[in-house]
Amino acid sequence: MAEIALRMGKNPVARAAEVLFRDYLVLVMIAVLVAITAIVEPKFLTERNLTNIIRQFGPLMMVSLGMTFVILGNFIDLSVAGIMNLVAVVAISLIGPWGQVPALLMGLAIGAGCGALNAAAILTSGALTQAEALFLTFGMSTVFSAFALLYSGGVTQHFWETKASKAMFETIGSGTVVGPISASFVIFLVVLVILWVFQTKTTEGRAISLTGGNKTAARLSGIRIKRSIFVIYVVCGLMTALGAIILFSRTTTATPVLGAGFETNAILAVVVGGTTLRGGKGSVLRTVMGVLLLILMSNCLDLIGVSTYLQVVTKGAILILAIWLDNRKQV
Amino acid sequence: MSGTSIEARSSGSGVGSRLYSIIMRQKALVAIGIMMVVMAFSGTQFYTAYNLLDMLNSTSILLILSFGVTLTIIAGGCDLSIGGILVVSGILSIKLQAFMPMELAIALAILFGVLVGFVNGFLSVHQKTEPFIITLGMGLLLTGVAQQLTDAHPVPAKNPAFMMIGNGDFHGVPNLVIIMVVCFALAFWLMRYTQFGRNLYAIGGDYEVARYSGIPVVRTKWLAFVISGGGAALAGFLLSSKLNTGSSIYGDLTALVVNCGVVVGGTSFAGGIGGIPQSALGLLVFGMLDNVMNMLTIESYYQVLLKGVVIVAIIWLDCFAQKRKREFV
Repeated sequence: MAEIALRMGKNPVARAAEVLFRDYLVLVMIAVLVAITAIVEPKFLTERNLTNIIRQFGPLMMVSLGMTFVILGNFIDLSVAGIMNLVAVVAISLIGPWGQVPALLMGLAIGAGCGALNAAAILTSGALTQAEALFLTFGMSTVFSAFALLYSGGVTQHFWETKASKAMFETIGSGTVVGPISASFVIFLVVLVILWVFQTKTTEGRAISLTGGNKTAARLSGIRIKRSIFVIYVVCGLMTALGAIILFSRTTTATPVLGAGFETNAILAVVVGGTTLRGGKGSVLRTVMGVLLLILMSNCLDLIGVSTYLQVVTKGAILILAIWLDNRKQV
Repeated sequence: MSGTSIEARSSGSGVGSRLYSIIMRQKALVAIGIMMVVMAFSGTQFYTAYNLLDMLNSTSILLILSFGVTLTIIAGGCDLSIGGILVVSGILSIKLQAFMPMELAIALAILFGVLVGFVNGFLSVHQKTEPFIITLGMGLLLTGVAQQLTDAHPVPAKNPAFMMIGNGDFHGVPNLVIIMVVCFALAFWLMRYTQFGRNLYAIGGDYEVARYSGIPVVRTKWLAFVISGGGAALAGFLLSSKLNTGSSIYGDLTALVVNCGVVVGGTSFAGGIGGIPQSALGLLVFGMLDNVMNMLTIESYYQVLLKGVVIVAIIWLDCFAQKRKREFV
């Protein structure tokens, strides 16, 4: 009722409130969540917990930023779990024989390569709907995971097993730059700026949104949609590889099942942030808010003492709710 | 019938294009044929009544799951929540036995699946959201419920009668196979000979046309989701009974594998094409692949790889077959 009364008034404040609730519900939810948790659990606002949160969100943030482009282009990518597995086991094993910089570059190259493979499978078969992309990339995920298992022999690899210098990975994982600001946070800021400029200021980035909005219209207006589809999967693969590297640098171990669950979490973060699954509308900044909400929520639920299992239930419920609300907004 | 066959016939109808259209339509049969030929020369115990029946027995849970899913895919949706329903109903059917007789516990577990299907239907049909992402979220939610119910440990069943449902046999034929055949017959009859089934095909073919033809589109498609949920719950209780335990881990990839299997059989995501026998064949490909790989003692990591390659190859072929029908590319 309050909403309707606000809309009738049409004064600037009311209009701002309406926009806030309709388009930036996730910001309101973050504010409410922080307020409630800070009152219920004073430990939430301690410096230690906040640093912890910043450390936690690196891997999921990278994967979700990549996934944003795929969803903007009206596709979906379930293979991120497989890519993470493969990148982690290969990169960590190469630190010894190749040195750390080549290992890092090789990891990123594998991510981009896997993304290109996804794009090739989708483009050559002419898959156009999200459902088709979902199953194709699920199959690819199984293939990538199998390669990760075969490469590593199913063994968990640790940092301490190699004597070669791994200072760079240690910095990525747990190093700090200024005060509580970690190295992974700086990486995140740099990547975010690059991706934001790419998405909003370059022709290629705009083409992705237009492709996602309406493929036929985009093609008829001279946009090379095949190229856009290729780009979104390569960007997603690259960002996923970066996420995998940050993750194993922090935990200092890599298992061939490291990425399990990241695909649903990334989709969840993107959708909760407000990028619509219908494609074409959304932004990387929204995804940042979505990831922030998810990480804050799991942190809050941890502090309050809710079991991990119930947190999975909450995530599923939020995913359903977010899609439902997004859908009602369109109608 | 399917557009590929018509086109193949009109364009020259050479042996090559005829063969191409057969392979495109009967991907599952081709895959099964290849495996049977390979096994004929392998010198293993593949062609024994015991092994074939065992293969059918271990695939029957997936088959029961696939029949309901086929309904939703033919209607132009899909159901990825079946993995979640499978584990929760399996756990419920065991846990509820502490409070009530076995039959009632089983009935409540199946009712639970029906209710989840009802919610899926409400969200994806009545509220017009994307079914695959809504059911994916529902699957995630239910996996969490299953973990919470069991604390992520397997729950053993204590009732021997419960175990006999999934492990007993009737004159040598395992109970699971009998139940699967009954489900198959029911689903086949439903899709082939009832108004409901024919309406589902029409809805999948073109939702708007079906609506303007006077078909109660929302109600019919909704019911497909309800049946899919109920079928998944039935499979869940049978799985628990077969393994004599309920656990939250069995559902992990089941949903995606079953949906893939249905498409492998020839039921297309485009909707309106396919049928129950095709789905049965599609799931049999996966069942037989497992059996064949074990018979040939292929290492488990290579088994994962082979399965992935088969999934990609067949989904790729499915998309490729529809490419020419589309307005673009």
